[in-house]
Amino acid sequence: MATFVVVGASLAGASAVAALREAGFDGRLVLVGEDPLPPYERPPLSKEYLRGEQPLEKGFVRPPEWYGEQGVEARFGTRARRVDVEDRAVVLEDGERLPYDAVLVTTGSRNRRLGLPGEDLPGVFDLRTVADCDRIREAASGARRVVLVGMGFIGAELAASFRQLGLEVTAVEFFGTVLERVLGPELGGVLEAIHRDHGVEMVFRDAAERFEGDGRFEAVRTREGRRLEGDLCVVGVGTEPVTDVLEGSGIATEGGVHVDARLRTSIPGVFAAGDVALHDHPVFGRIRVEHFDNAIKMGEAAGRAMLGAEDVFDDPHWFWSDQYDVNIQVAGVATSWDRVVIRGSLEERSFAAFLLQDGVLRSTVTVSWPRDARRSMPLIRARTRPDPEALADPEVDLRTLVPEGEG
Amino acid sequence: MADFVRVGEAGEVGEGDMAAYVVDDRTVAIANVGGTLYAFDDVCTHAACSLSEGDLDGTVVECPCHGSRFDVTSGEVVEGPAADPIDTFEVREDGGELQVSI
Repeated sequence: MATFVVVGASLAGASAVAALREAGFDGRLVLVGEDPLPPYERPPLSKEYLRGEQPLEKGFVRPPEWYGEQGVEARFGTRARRVDVEDRAVVLEDGERLPYDAVLVTTGSRNRRLGLPGEDLPGVFDLRTVADCDRIREAASGARRVVLVGMGFIGAELAASFRQLGLEVTAVEFFGTVLERVLGPELGGVLEAIHRDHGVEMVFRDAAERFEGDGRFEAVRTREGRRLEGDLCVVGVGTEPVTDVLEGSGIATEGGVHVDARLRTSIPGVFAAGDVALHDHPVFGRIRVEHFDNAIKMGEAAGRAMLGAEDVFDDPHWFWSDQYDVNIQVAGVATSWDRVVIRGSLEERSFAAFLLQDGVLRSTVTVSWPRDARRSMPLIRARTRPDPEALADPEVDLRTLVPEGEG
Repeated sequence: MADFVRVGEAGEVGEGDMAAYVVDDRTVAIANVGGTLYAFDDVCTHAACSLSEGDLDGTVVECPCHGSRFDVTSGEVVEGPAADPIDTFEVREDGGELQVSI
């Protein structure tokens, strides 16, 4: 009987074991994860769960009893030390060895630390786990003002949630506007205006230099000499892949665990998926994405790959963010673009923005314009060059622009 | 079972289309799948977006906001992030009227 081990009890890991059982894999299946909780969804941690609107259980990827019912050996609260690729065994922290026929690494990402003085002061937080979120909730209850370092997706969602909870919010961001690195200055500026209208105080082109406080966080001191005071501080300045278990294995881990288009590493029987995987994507080239939807789809695909499926993983990627009553979606991946076509209105903050490079649709960003992000995914996957006039025309159904045989 | 109430004209929801109607204090979506009508709660159980503003793929409706998918014949979740099913209702065309029972 074959043994498959999934290292990382994340959304990707849970999706992989579910896909394996669905595909009829009846061998030994072990899911190892550091977090003591069964795999859970992280999007609510900056939104509904943080605001106390949604119970913890609602975020579980599968009900806790599901793992036993499916014959999945759940090793939650257990850290894997390394994958011994010579001996084909996963070595746990206590030295126990789990021999495997195939192993999937879904260890995700960890928050980047700034390495600044005072970062360890009580009252300075970052957000990744339920435990992190619980600590932030506790600190925020009774607090008046929160300082956010970073206005990427985490910072922006936290700013919205804290405002909704009635807290005052000050944010400092290294770039020139909200989400500038992902959306560019023009689209990011729309989000900046939304946050400003909701009373978020924002400082751009500045960065934290140290965290100050007498035994507890009191203020962020910035490089430009500002002192941003608050009762607590949350840092959201990006992530790095958790590749530790494969260090020294011979598998490339620079920028993520390198996998081919079929989610295989350079060593037979070793796969990776989700946030940790640096994937050779047939449309976008080498990329690592940290999206909810990708964790599910890539996790499932990796499960099937462990069973020998040879499908190329070419999902065009999609994610959302909710801030106040604004729904934001991004389909595809664009690191650069030479043309933006707008459907809708930037002024009215309701639009789809199509990012084109050499006429090829690479990414779609929607703000309070749901539907067209997902409808554009087949166009992005097929690397089409849609007629810009059709893109700009709200009357044109994007699904009619997909070439025959694609999508 | 409550009585059927008129929400519109017979034939006004075309094949492959969806439309939303306010009935009492709820919004009900009606979908036409290959000539058969299905009525269901228009409000997604995940984050309350309007399902009728999403896309219909066979008998599966996809939420426009977060991509949750539901089978309109049963209300069951086909794909998350939604965890809970949507309510479904009886729908009929009678005497030239489009009617639902909630």
